[in-house]
Amino acid sequence: MNKKIIVSWVAQIAIAVILGQTLFFKFTDAPETVELFSQLGMGPFGYKLIGGLELIACVLILTRPSIIWGAILSWGLMSGAIMAHLTKIGFSGDYRALGVMAIIAWLLSCLVIYLRRKELSIVRNMFG
Amino acid sequence: MSTTFVINLHKISRFVNVAIPVLLALSFAGGMFISFYFHFLTVLLLFLTIANLFYLNVQKGHAILRNFGLLGQGRYLLESIGPELRQYLFASDQEERPFNREERSEVYRKAKNIDSASSFGSRQNFDASEIKIRHSMFPTPRESLKPFSLTYGEERGLKTAYSIAHPIMISAMSYGSLGAHAVRSLARGAKLAGIPMNTGEGGYPKYHLMEGCDLIFQIGTAKFGVRHKDGRLDEAKLAAIAAKPEVKMIEIKFSQGAKPGKGGLLPKEKITDEIAKFRGVSKDRNLISPPFHHECDTVENTIKFVGRIQEISSLPTGFKLCLGNIVEFEALVEEMKRQSLYPDFITVDGAEGGTGAAPKSFLDGVGIPLAASLFSINDCLKRHGIRDRMKLNASGKLVSPGRQLMAFALGADAIYTARGFMLSLGCIQALQCGNNTCPAGITTHDPKLQKGLVIESRMLRIANYVRNIEHDLEELLRATGRTSFSELTEENLYIPSNVTLSDHSLRSLNGQMAS
Repeated sequence: MNKKIIVSWVAQIAIAVILGQTLFFKFTDAPETVELFSQLGMGPFGYKLIGGLELIACVLILTRPSIIWGAILSWGLMSGAIMAHLTKIGFSGDYRALGVMAIIAWLLSCLVIYLRRKELSIVRNMFG
Repeated sequence: MSTTFVINLHKISRFVNVAIPVLLALSFAGGMFISFYFHFLTVLLLFLTIANLFYLNVQKGHAILRNFGLLGQGRYLLESIGPELRQYLFASDQEERPFNREERSEVYRKAKNIDSASSFGSRQNFDASEIKIRHSMFPTPRESLKPFSLTYGEERGLKTAYSIAHPIMISAMSYGSLGAHAVRSLARGAKLAGIPMNTGEGGYPKYHLMEGCDLIFQIGTAKFGVRHKDGRLDEAKLAAIAAKPEVKMIEIKFSQGAKPGKGGLLPKEKITDEIAKFRGVSKDRNLISPPFHHECDTVENTIKFVGRIQEISSLPTGFKLCLGNIVEFEALVEEMKRQSLYPDFITVDGAEGGTGAAPKSFLDGVGIPLAASLFSINDCLKRHGIRDRMKLNASGKLVSPGRQLMAFALGADAIYTARGFMLSLGCIQALQCGNNTCPAGITTHDPKLQKGLVIESRMLRIANYVRNIEHDLEELLRATGRTSFSELTEENLYIPSNVTLSDHSLRSLNGQMAS
């Protein structure tokens, strides 16, 4: 198998793990989640919407024809998460690990999008 | 006259290129100061901004995107759905090629058993130089028509001589070019209609054999199914295939109308494990057959090769060609007489023939169209006094009874059509035959796309098409005042003065046939 494909799959699985492990907290209204999202002015609707989108991203990024779409969605979600850390919740205490995870997932999403750029013309055309 | 309101795409695209980052900044501010929900929009705009920066500054492959950015992408989007839009919305009923909507719908109606009468006159352009059929003031009464019957191989007194009772046959389409469902639907329909089917040059005809219809086995230039590893003829394999009770005739393919002068072509997208096995080839590159049979390097050897196949198979054996040069053909005829060895039939394929993937320059620009080549070959055989030694099959866009009758008048004994049967199967002319993505499930091996093609319902369409074509052909024949197709000659046609069929003036030829 192609080396790029292997790298891409490792990144995809890592993204799915990073996104997936927070879903349990979001869908069970865990106090940490409620506390975190309250700082963003978001209630249960907000974090469940984001949790739902993260779940969709996990499924898409692990299913063959839609991997690049999953990577774009997770890129968007992680962009939002990083903005939240930068502008509202910061990186101190418990939030440091979460913030770093978001940055890692964001970088991995960029990598998957780049490796699979040929699968979607919008992205393919970005690189000529 | 000055225009006060115009849509200036240049300005709009420049405006969009500025507007996206501005909106991004506004949305970001909204997310900061109003509600975090604004950041859903921020993220989307961020993606568009980055993509746009790449389009404008990074990539170097697309001039439109480099000049106009994101809106330029709309061009590629619209271009990609253009064929569908044109076919469904904008193309007129007589505009499309190879078959316009009127021609396709005639076949669909025949296949679905719907009356194809229409009113208020022909929609063909009568100013055009098209061949028409001359009708007689004294049409033939129905009961005087002679029933159609044609026996291949009778000239050589073969025990295996093969008779057909219907004037049309399914032309060569291999398993490989067609998917298994399409092959089986055609084969079962052929069995139901009582007509033979040509296997195409696809090697061992497993799916063709499955339904028990009569088969004409085709030997292509790569000899799939009957070849040694080095490409020479494997006589034992040929004898084994010829011994099968379903196989009634052998057709040696010299050239085909879609790509005369070039061998068969199967794109690698369409080569499955099974196809690679049947053809004895590897599956990771395009499969390109040689342009000619290695045994047939001279006129003499070509005729010898035909004789050799006749001997091995002991079946009626003929060859198929698309005419390139009547002088060459005449040499072939002289050689037949010298060796006194004649094919049992010749299939004349017009350059308009179309099934099969082919380089566009060959599809469009090589070979003689059917009207002229059929007339020339028939005339050549008659001049040499050997027309009665063989049968002539005609093929090349012969999907409608009008064109088919003209082919009879120009010398054909029987009609081959491939695309007529593909349209009957439900082909929508999506022109994706070479990509393995046929939306109608005909020329694809993708099981998800083949699911749409249900053999039980499609075989009826094949049989309907044959029956309705035959009915229309008989009506046309009666109108000419003749009692059988073999009585028709070019005198039954009105040939406008600018259309020349003469074999010696091929250079000034402008052969066209009306639909």
